[in-house]
Amino acid sequence: MISYVLRRLALAIPTLGGIVVLVFLLLHLAPGSPASAAGSAESGRRVSASAREEMRRLYGLDRPLPERFVRWIGRVARFDLGESFADRRPVSERIREALPATLVLNGLALFFTLAIAIPIGVAAGGRPEGVFDRTSAVILFALYSMPVFWAALLLQTLLSVKLGWLPLYGVSSDPAPAGLAGVADRLAHLALPVMCLTYASLAFFARLVRAGVVEARSQDYVTAALARGVSRRGALWRHAFRNALLPLITLLGLLLPGLLSGSVIVERIFAWPGLGRLYFDSILSRDYPVVLGLSLVGAVATLAATLAADVAYAFADPRVREES
Amino acid sequence: MKRLGPAILLACLAACRAKEGARPTAGVGPTPTEAPRPALGFLDESREGTPVAGGLLRRRLVGEPATLNAVLQSGLPEQQVLQYVSRQLVDFNSRLELVGNLAERWIVSDDGREYRFDLQRGAVWEDGTPVTSADAVFTIRRIVDARVPSPVFKPLFADLEVIEAVDPASFRARFRERDAFHAYAFALPLLPAHRFEGQSFLKARDNRAPLSNGPYRVARWKTQESIELERNPRWNGAAGHFDRIVFRIVPENSVAYLALVEGSLDETWIDQPLKERSALDRRFQTCCRVVELYNLDYNYIGLNNRSPLFSDSRVRRAMTMLLDRPAIVQGLYRGSARIISGPWAPDSPAYDASVTPLPFDPQEAAELLSQAGWRDTNGNGTRDRAGREFEFDLLVSAGSNAGRQIDEIFAEELSRAGIRARIRPLEWATFTDRVDSGAYEAATLGWAAADPNPDPFPYWHSSQVPPRGINIAHYSNPSADRLMEEARRELDPEKREAIYHRLHRVFRNDPPVVFVVNATQKYAFRRRVRGLITSPLGLFGFSPGPLSWWGAPGDDVSAGRK
Repeated sequence: MISYVLRRLALAIPTLGGIVVLVFLLLHLAPGSPASAAGSAESGRRVSASAREEMRRLYGLDRPLPERFVRWIGRVARFDLGESFADRRPVSERIREALPATLVLNGLALFFTLAIAIPIGVAAGGRPEGVFDRTSAVILFALYSMPVFWAALLLQTLLSVKLGWLPLYGVSSDPAPAGLAGVADRLAHLALPVMCLTYASLAFFARLVRAGVVEARSQDYVTAALARGVSRRGALWRHAFRNALLPLITLLGLLLPGLLSGSVIVERIFAWPGLGRLYFDSILSRDYPVVLGLSLVGAVATLAATLAADVAYAFADPRVREES
Repeated sequence: MKRLGPAILLACLAACRAKEGARPTAGVGPTPTEAPRPALGFLDESREGTPVAGGLLRRRLVGEPATLNAVLQSGLPEQQVLQYVSRQLVDFNSRLELVGNLAERWIVSDDGREYRFDLQRGAVWEDGTPVTSADAVFTIRRIVDARVPSPVFKPLFADLEVIEAVDPASFRARFRERDAFHAYAFALPLLPAHRFEGQSFLKARDNRAPLSNGPYRVARWKTQESIELERNPRWNGAAGHFDRIVFRIVPENSVAYLALVEGSLDETWIDQPLKERSALDRRFQTCCRVVELYNLDYNYIGLNNRSPLFSDSRVRRAMTMLLDRPAIVQGLYRGSARIISGPWAPDSPAYDASVTPLPFDPQEAAELLSQAGWRDTNGNGTRDRAGREFEFDLLVSAGSNAGRQIDEIFAEELSRAGIRARIRPLEWATFTDRVDSGAYEAATLGWAAADPNPDPFPYWHSSQVPPRGINIAHYSNPSADRLMEEARRELDPEKREAIYHRLHRVFRNDPPVVFVVNATQKYAFRRRVRGLITSPLGLFGFSPGPLSWWGAPGDDVSAGRK
């Protein structure tokens, strides 16, 4: 088992290296530079070539690409992600500021997605092609195909502006109430963005669970359980679903790093101070250190989660570690 | 698109911070040419009702300021916050005239190269230290420092030769060349020199928590959420009316609109579609109003004069005549735009209203194209000359909806005239990269004025082609060159205006690019916000700007927040 983990770990290192080199190259070879990104479509400005040159020097972009790469890697090896071009603050500080908002939002969204998708999937899989299966499929796919920016504005107009039930945007009221009321206030602010992040991924998970349950319910052990007198519900949940869970766990491993990535659209619409907005704005303004820092964090998280999933899988299924 | 683009002048963006308590002064020297009476849509509510002190104003920022260091600022969000916190040496008033603020008076030498500023006595920083000439000298030295990125101010001081303090209350600045508009550079907020001692200028704590010398100070900055201002207790000038100003960062326009209607914002910039939506929205009509004004921005379709397609003046005239500008004004802007015939908006003093724009005239345009040698000789439906087909990529910033729509109208008319234009939307940084490096043939651009400086020299003079300058059209016209040189050296406003009016005719007859329109800027306000004043610099970029606003009591809002 330990040698298996070590082997996976050894494989992860070159993968990480590859990702880092690729992101670095993609970013620096993409057209545009911090100088050309200055201003925006909203407030743009022309910059003379000499001014652009001066800016390149300021940001150290006049150095050859390999030199810049080595410098960056050198710093990363010392756990230093550098400073943002935009405000000269450490990249790690900017990431740390935006991280909690995104984690809470995505974590809750994932929780609700699973909490809703799993029962739907099991119920639908319990009676394939039944009424529930068919209606839930139609509804889920309808939700799945609704563009999030449209749905978000619709929900905001209805629930915030028309009915006044939920806050329109932001993470808390201003000024935020203290104590329990403060917690309630924050939860209320989470409601709409969580809804928007949840509804679209329901279909995916529910159908996945359904497929697993459909396959498992025709297995002999389910038939045996039913024959033993286990209730239909018990057979579904305790026997069929447990086996259907296996691919779901692997998938979750791949989805966890997504908790960090944030959703640009949802974060922009709800003025949510998260990583998605930071990433997006940094790309637009060609804030290389921040984009690289976030990419690196994302890559590490992905690799760590994949590794964890591999290990968990091997733990659960002896065939995996024997074959590899 | 209006907001689209680029233009440079942003450079002078900073130039326009307004300050309450600006006193008119005996500024000698190049007083700016007087602005023509604004044509329509301008507001002055300063005499309507009695301003009430107190309350909270909720403003919107489109994005988060990168810094609150006045020298390092690069965009609108920074300017909007600093306007309340940092006074400038001089301000523009709503009629585009320079008036003193921290500088009580200034004197210009006879050769027009040297300026001496006397600071107002009694001005203090939030920590009680007086504002002195050392602060002014420090600020300007940082601007010209090669290690400091100061995109807004650097171009304005590029020509600076000497900057030094004369005594604690006055300093002098000397420029290498005489230029009628040097004084505009001093519409500049100051930094407190003593706070940056022994600190890295780029990373100083003050860059996020600036020391105020104005009516408000920064109370709180929640990253990516909001910036809150409160009254500066040390402030001894005329105060702003609100007790607190909260800037909420709301990136999406349509959400800002909802926030306004719901009552959690008091103002926002809106676009044409939102304006049309607001007219049908009963709830909006009861709580809010649209404020619309013409500023000095305009948009144009840049043509690379170096390209064999556009090097001939007749072709550029033909291109102008092939753009159906009346249809754009009516169809796209619903009447809230004005066709322009030169590189200024109609409210700029340089603009000569008697210079009529070239008409939309496809027949005459076809004639001009044929004269220039562009005929369809191979019968494929596209004009050609010496084996080259008349086809090109028309670049547009992907974020610019209006620009895109103008391009579509244009491309359709062009195809009828035997010219193929392929519209190519590009992401902003990529777009500017292509345009600035000259690797383009045609691009949809805008020009955003940040101060009233009408000097076309940096953009259209033949000596300013890249890499040296920003004449990205590579326009070259000897008589235009001569007039531009003359105008910027002319210190007499009337004579200068006359030169610009002659220049305007040259631009009309030998257009460098296709000038399109000057469209209105649109904002939506809660009705409780009163005392608005607008100017050709917009709602913000002049004195007093937002500092004249006040909140009518008894109206919603403060209670409207959940």
